[in-house]
Amino acid sequence: MRMPEQRSQTPNSFLPDFCAAPAVLAVVLIVELVALMMAIARQSLHQNFWVDLAATSLFLLWIGLGCSAVLCRSRAWLARMPPGRASAVAIAMLVAVVGIVSELVYQAGRFGQFELQSAVTVFPTDHAAFLLRNMAVGFIVSALALRYFYVTAEWKRSIEMEALARIHALQARIRPHFLFNSMNTIASLTRTNPGRAEQAIEDLADLFRASLHDAHTQISLKDEIEIARTHERIEQLRLGDRLRVEWDIGKLPLRAQVPCLIVQPLLENAVYHGIEMLPAGGTIHIRGELVQDRIEIEVRNPVLAHQGYREREGNRMALENIRQRLELAWPGRAWVETTQSDGEFRAKLIFPFTESRSSVIDV
Amino acid sequence: MKILIVDDEPPARERLRSLLSEIGDCEVIGEASNGEEALELCSQLKPDVVLLDVRMPGISGLEVARHIDTLADPPAVIFTTAYDQYAVEAFETEAVGYLLKPVRKEKLAHALRHAARISPSRLTRVARTAGMEQRRERICARLGDQLRLIPVEDIYYFLADQKYITVRHKGGEDLIDESLKSLAEEFSNDFVRIHRNALVAEKQISAVERTEDGQYVVRVRDCGAVLQVSRRHAAELLRRIRGES
Repeated sequence: MRMPEQRSQTPNSFLPDFCAAPAVLAVVLIVELVALMMAIARQSLHQNFWVDLAATSLFLLWIGLGCSAVLCRSRAWLARMPPGRASAVAIAMLVAVVGIVSELVYQAGRFGQFELQSAVTVFPTDHAAFLLRNMAVGFIVSALALRYFYVTAEWKRSIEMEALARIHALQARIRPHFLFNSMNTIASLTRTNPGRAEQAIEDLADLFRASLHDAHTQISLKDEIEIARTHERIEQLRLGDRLRVEWDIGKLPLRAQVPCLIVQPLLENAVYHGIEMLPAGGTIHIRGELVQDRIEIEVRNPVLAHQGYREREGNRMALENIRQRLELAWPGRAWVETTQSDGEFRAKLIFPFTESRSSVIDV
Repeated sequence: MKILIVDDEPPARERLRSLLSEIGDCEVIGEASNGEEALELCSQLKPDVVLLDVRMPGISGLEVARHIDTLADPPAVIFTTAYDQYAVEAFETEAVGYLLKPVRKEKLAHALRHAARISPSRLTRVARTAGMEQRRERICARLGDQLRLIPVEDIYYFLADQKYITVRHKGGEDLIDESLKSLAEEFSNDFVRIHRNALVAEKQISAVERTEDGQYVVRVRDCGAVLQVSRRHAAELLRRIRGES
């Protein structure tokens, strides 16, 4: 329930929020700096620096605040468009604001001429040229500003995405549920069976060492199977005879080179979503074979027909992680197939058989 | 203090047992490895405190706790969990006693001193906050000292009289001590109110008929019962029946 609400609040617009006080203050400051810059640059053309500065900053402030107000109002509307169209619409609106303010200033100059002594120098005289010039400048500046906003927003988004991806990757590797349950098992075994506790700690250490490899690391299939077996040993201590695993991997070429952690997560899922939810437990079947030049590894486990305890996204996340690893190793040539039927879940890895370069040393 | 340990993992039970043996003034009177066993032992052994694992196969810890409350003198419940972020948050907000595994001896002793009975309404709120299933999959009836679990999908209807509610189901009839209003809310997806005192499983309705005096009645599949539909609930019933078929 809470998630969609949060999502609707997070603006996916690349425009900053111009309704917020800090943004308005920034606009005012920038406008004043630009006005100062222009006044200094034109000092030789005008007799009175201060009058020029005042006129320019008054004019630019109207434009700056007008543009902010327009962007503030239309932000939600623009956010619903694709970035390209939103930019075009925003530029058009900003140029229009520049045009309107310029027109007002011109008209004010025409009617106010007689009241102000210095009006002749302050107000523009050439109507069309004045409007066109301002709108051209408005167009260039707003295009630059929007480009700047877009790039900063993209940069911020990519940093956030990267952080999120890292957290997901970490959680996919070390599932907290498994970690704490294993710790509890070890705590229990240290009293009753210190020898087994020692072995469990060694197994857990091996498993975490393997999980610290990055996604590019390739190991032999033999080692990958060993990691899965290590995982099985720890779960076995915890679940006892409720967990049975049948390995049918005699036909697998163990010297094959595979990305690390592609079989173990499937076994972990099979236990977490399958066996653990069944009061009497069940058997996980792991079967592997070489079909022509492709390796196929299938993990099958029984699942509860209807699950009362709502499962979270763990299963999908682990599978997604395996997909990424396979994709990194063999782009477009390796995949995971999953099927669920008759209280059974199957996940099948299919990837090309690649010989290990270090096989000579391994054997 | 008499304690019942409920956990599906043998090492987890063993550890609690050995910790409890070091804490004075408590005695482990039984161990159960699943929810049904836990309920049976609860009614047989009458523990003072139940240490209950949240994540179990079959009946979840939360549902077990709700059924336990059906007992005449329900024991206090302390939940145990290795990792369940959402459940732990819910326990915190509802001030429900829980322990994180591996359990520390001091925390266990502290929890036992403060153990308390948890009311069904608080458990429903916990389930809701934790994003877990709030509907029970079974209804628990008490026969003297025995607890009887009735799968909700086997139930034909609930009929209220002055004090109790009769549950008519595939295995016969039982009395339960709950309110029809809360049952109607909990099972609103599958059950429909047809009268101030009657709640019927929608899929068990074989026919809705109109009697000569303009009253509606509902025929219940299999058990053959005919139940009165009150004027107030007739419109809602007809809408649901038509909407479904």
